[in-house]
Amino acid sequence: MHEVSIALGMLDELFRIAQENHAIKITRVKLKIGKMSGIVTDSLKFAFDAVKLEHPLLSQAEIVIEEVPLVYKCNDCHVSFNAADIYFPACPECGSGNLQLVSGEEQHIESVEVEI
Amino acid sequence: MCDTCGCDHEQSHTHSHETRTVDVNQSLLKANEDAAVSNKKHFDDKGILAINLISSPGSGKTTLLEKTIEALKDKISIGVLEGDIETDLDAERIRAKGVPAVQLTTGGACHLDSAQIHRGFHSLEHQLHGKNLDVLFIENVGNLVCPSFFDLGEHVRIVLISVPEGHDKPVKYPKAIRTSQVLIISKSDLVQHFDFDLHKIKKDALALNPSLKIIVTSAKTGEGMEEWIDFLIHRLHR
Repeated sequence: MHEVSIALGMLDELFRIAQENHAIKITRVKLKIGKMSGIVTDSLKFAFDAVKLEHPLLSQAEIVIEEVPLVYKCNDCHVSFNAADIYFPACPECGSGNLQLVSGEEQHIESVEVEI
Repeated sequence: MCDTCGCDHEQSHTHSHETRTVDVNQSLLKANEDAAVSNKKHFDDKGILAINLISSPGSGKTTLLEKTIEALKDKISIGVLEGDIETDLDAERIRAKGVPAVQLTTGGACHLDSAQIHRGFHSLEHQLHGKNLDVLFIENVGNLVCPSFFDLGEHVRIVLISVPEGHDKPVKYPKAIRTSQVLIISKSDLVQHFDFDLHKIKKDALALNPSLKIIVTSAKTGEGMEEWIDFLIHRLHR
């Protein structure tokens, strides 16, 4: 259950962002979480909603998660394609297994909506 | 205080609070990643090779360390940070082999983070009395999921999977495989007793991480130990 640690680390970052922007409140946090990041988005939301309550600055913050699909690029024919899972896709064009992951491992805070 | 928004103004003020979107675009784990960069710089400045061992509980991390210390104790200087939820049993096992060890008990957390490594390394330095280390081993908390999220500033991450755990572990725990540079398949002496497909585990692990180095070991028979020690020495002198 690393999501609680991640949520706690996120709080520290949000405090820093709030301070830098002289915010009185954080109202929304947009995250980008890749399908293969290993972060369970429901658990992260649950953990964040539990820890935010202690902090007036964050207690009304809503977390919005954009799930990023798993996209591979074929190293042989250079076609990009979406994959349902990592086990183990082949290129739909040429059948090659020589692929590189283009997206799907993201674990980012994209933006924060603040009230100043 | 204003009842409407909680700001410091008197109640009568006009609510002109502005909402603004701040672009952040940074990792959710930034605090840990920053601390990892600082740990790594510290290790580099001191010429220390830092190795993070991750695996499920009972895969043989501590046993691998004991055997490694036996083989290398007289040739290089080794220090160990032992991560566990409770007890200092593992640090005791390491100290019994004659090398300095600090136990990091997380009190429930299922992984180590960079701040713990920073503190742990400084307390290990107290045991060194000015002597420099060649290799720092960090034995993470037994868990194949969470430790793979937390960079500790290590140079090499090694994941162990033991034969009794089954050959399906790489595909079930892809992040551990994708973020490691070495896979050690431990307890190879038990292959004959388990329905364990060595070919399949290697194939799946390499499909997830094509540059992964795989070493098959047994602390019991000594299989693979020479290859492991050679890898370490080679990596140390790189």
